[in-house]
Amino acid sequence: MVKIEDYHNDYENKWCPGCGNFGLLDAMKDALVNLDIAPRDILLISGIGQAAKTPHFMNCNFFHTLHGRALPIATGAKLANHDLKILVNSGDGDCYGEGGNHFINAIRRNLDITLLVHHNKVYGLTKGQAAPTSDMGFVTPQQPDGVRTDPLNPVKLALSLGASFVARGFSNNRKHLSRLIQDAIQYRGFSLVDILQPCVTYNKINSHAWFKKRAYDLYETDYQPDKLDEALFLAEEWEDKIPIGILYRKDSIPFHERIGQLKEGTLISRPYDAATIQEILSAV
Amino acid sequence: MDIDISIKIGGEAGQGIQTVGDLLANVCREAGLYITGINDFESRIRGGHSYFQIRICNTSVSAPETTAHMVVALNEQTYELHHQDIHEGGLVIMDAREAPAENVIAVPIRELAVEAGGRVMANTVAVGAVLGLLGAPFHILEGLLTRRFSRKSQQIVDNNIAAAKLGFEAVKDTSFKWSFDWNRGEPKGTLINGSKAVALGALAADCRFAAFYPMSPATSVMQDLNSFSGKIPMIVEQVEDEIAAVNAIIGASYAGIRSMTSTSGGGFSLMVEGLGLAGITETPIVVVDAQRPGPATGLPTRTAQPDLLFAIRASQDEFPRFVLAPGSPGEAYTITTRAFELADKYQVPVIILVDQYLCDSLFIEENPFKIPTEINRYTVTDEDMADPRQYVRYALTEDGVSPRALPCNGEALVMASGNEHTEDGHISEDPANRVAMMDKRAAKIPRMIDELDPPETYHGESELLVVGWGSTRGAIREAVEILRNGGMDIGCLHFTDIWPFPTDVVTAALEKAERFVMVEQNSSAQFGQLIREQTGLSYSASILKYDGRPFYTDEVVEKIKQI
Repeated sequence: MVKIEDYHNDYENKWCPGCGNFGLLDAMKDALVNLDIAPRDILLISGIGQAAKTPHFMNCNFFHTLHGRALPIATGAKLANHDLKILVNSGDGDCYGEGGNHFINAIRRNLDITLLVHHNKVYGLTKGQAAPTSDMGFVTPQQPDGVRTDPLNPVKLALSLGASFVARGFSNNRKHLSRLIQDAIQYRGFSLVDILQPCVTYNKINSHAWFKKRAYDLYETDYQPDKLDEALFLAEEWEDKIPIGILYRKDSIPFHERIGQLKEGTLISRPYDAATIQEILSAV
Repeated sequence: MDIDISIKIGGEAGQGIQTVGDLLANVCREAGLYITGINDFESRIRGGHSYFQIRICNTSVSAPETTAHMVVALNEQTYELHHQDIHEGGLVIMDAREAPAENVIAVPIRELAVEAGGRVMANTVAVGAVLGLLGAPFHILEGLLTRRFSRKSQQIVDNNIAAAKLGFEAVKDTSFKWSFDWNRGEPKGTLINGSKAVALGALAADCRFAAFYPMSPATSVMQDLNSFSGKIPMIVEQVEDEIAAVNAIIGASYAGIRSMTSTSGGGFSLMVEGLGLAGITETPIVVVDAQRPGPATGLPTRTAQPDLLFAIRASQDEFPRFVLAPGSPGEAYTITTRAFELADKYQVPVIILVDQYLCDSLFIEENPFKIPTEINRYTVTDEDMADPRQYVRYALTEDGVSPRALPCNGEALVMASGNEHTEDGHISEDPANRVAMMDKRAAKIPRMIDELDPPETYHGESELLVVGWGSTRGAIREAVEILRNGGMDIGCLHFTDIWPFPTDVVTAALEKAERFVMVEQNSSAQFGQLIREQTGLSYSASILKYDGRPFYTDEVVEKIKQI
């Protein structure tokens, strides 16, 4: 049995005290332990940002890459070896800003990976600028008159793109978040968990208390996440109450199952076929 | 060479000029002749003006000539544009009832095609007429058409043979000054363009994944590779942009399979950040840059060698990489297979510089495409380690190459980071660690230099040396042969393996010559600059062409005479 200690490491954590990411990290480890997935069997891929540092604080395989590019990296890794269990850790800037095009296309491909987006509505690593998800009027040193652009609604965007598993979590509710991450990992296809995660340093508005007051648990309601119109309705809830849980889930065919080449096994597992290659070369 | 005939076939895009060129080239190959065929086309799908120019010789040839002995004008514009390029005594075949000039033979190409069964066969009529004038036996074309169309239907085969025959017969009373004896023995090699040679090299090197975003002239490499994907375990995936392409192949390589992408300068610009990620994370990748004139969109369907200095420096900061530039389909094949081997062996990115001319032109490649004797991935598993739990991805080693394990392949955890990192892959800003890691990566360079092939040298002892790299190989070599036959003390050096710069080899090759001249397809003699920077030796003159068209042999001869 996998133990939580297996995932601990002694690498110095570099997040601010009180950061929402701590809850998220705990929930992620808890989810992996509950699913009995060992560090040797999980691959964490991340872009750049505070969220993207997450893999360094876990003892497992990881690839910490470039700003916005975690999803293309994951695409290649998954095609090379579709048996890999891949968890992508990204932030709202990394995923919805710099990597926006990749987000759209990862959903279109329906890669069988889980994307955890640390959503705190502000840039942490670069010290407090607006994120794509920041609210209109949100004042930062770089947006002194307040943000002028409408906020991006990631779950609504994902739903409108046809995403097959869309969920929202809250870092403060670790047990709930662990359950969500477990459901996401077990889902065969692309699973997005947009995780509300307060930035204690740069976002004084959307605090732990602000989210806590609004978050309500969909697992505890009779909500069935199988209707797109209802999911879209829930995706709009924000000011007074915010649903956390699985907003939408449908059956889907993951990307690797759409590729005839992969029916005979993973690309990495197949032997070098010298005879066929020689045949092709001779026929030129 | 006693046979050296150039033929231009011109018309609008969409008229099937390439089909004519392809058929002619295949007939020549089967007859035991050598050819070079260039595709000159505009960035449009229909209309405009395009031509295919084929040079037919009885000895090896790998460059075009400026002038033509025959022009096939599928439209009037071709006649207007090209009738001045014809040798004295040359002919124009024109799709017309009446000839507008003395050297024009009017062949009602489209009418004859209709007579044979359909206008679509106008190309076949044209090929028949060309071969008729050249004195070719009809049976080679007949056999080729039969093989080409037999999969469709016997009717189509019969119609095409009839069309070819009508074209062939239409010129039977016309004599062509350069018609020749077609009895030339067995085929001398494979008819192939550079794109396909790169794709075959990748296939033979066990490339399993390619990601790309379409861009001329690089797309054909991916298309050729994709044509094999049903037969072997390999995926060619069109992704959302070039940034995704380079990062996807980095991900696939990190996960354990050989991976590549192909793009042109603009797409390569977008890939540069990813190139740096491959550099610092020591992830092997192969990137083909099929060069074209730039900057920005430049001339999309034209040729150039403007990316050399960009390719060797691309990315912020420094890391080792290979830059290789083949000069023929044979070299494109072997260099591509080597690229995958070198990428894995040194855990570095390898950039292959080709260009539109090499990618899109047809040649007879005499060397067979040999499959590598072994595929060595240079990776380790738990079994290779005393304690896999102690494995670190970036172990400091004397030669800079760390044992490379693959993720989720055992107890050894593979931790990689694009941030500067310690041996175990974790972020570190420690100054001593930073220096150690930079030095570790750079420590690979001496051994990488030892891997490089020296330049191909032809009369390297000469007083004047012509120096080139990549696709100018054929034009330079032939020009030097012509000048030597004319009594000039001249030789040439052709480089394929350019970076890391083999300073000692280049110095030794050049210091004996009284002077050396650069021949390059860019506006500032980039390779000449690099030689000067790395060796202190300066070129005395440069012959530079940057109009988007390839070097023609006769043009190089004239330019060398002028210096």
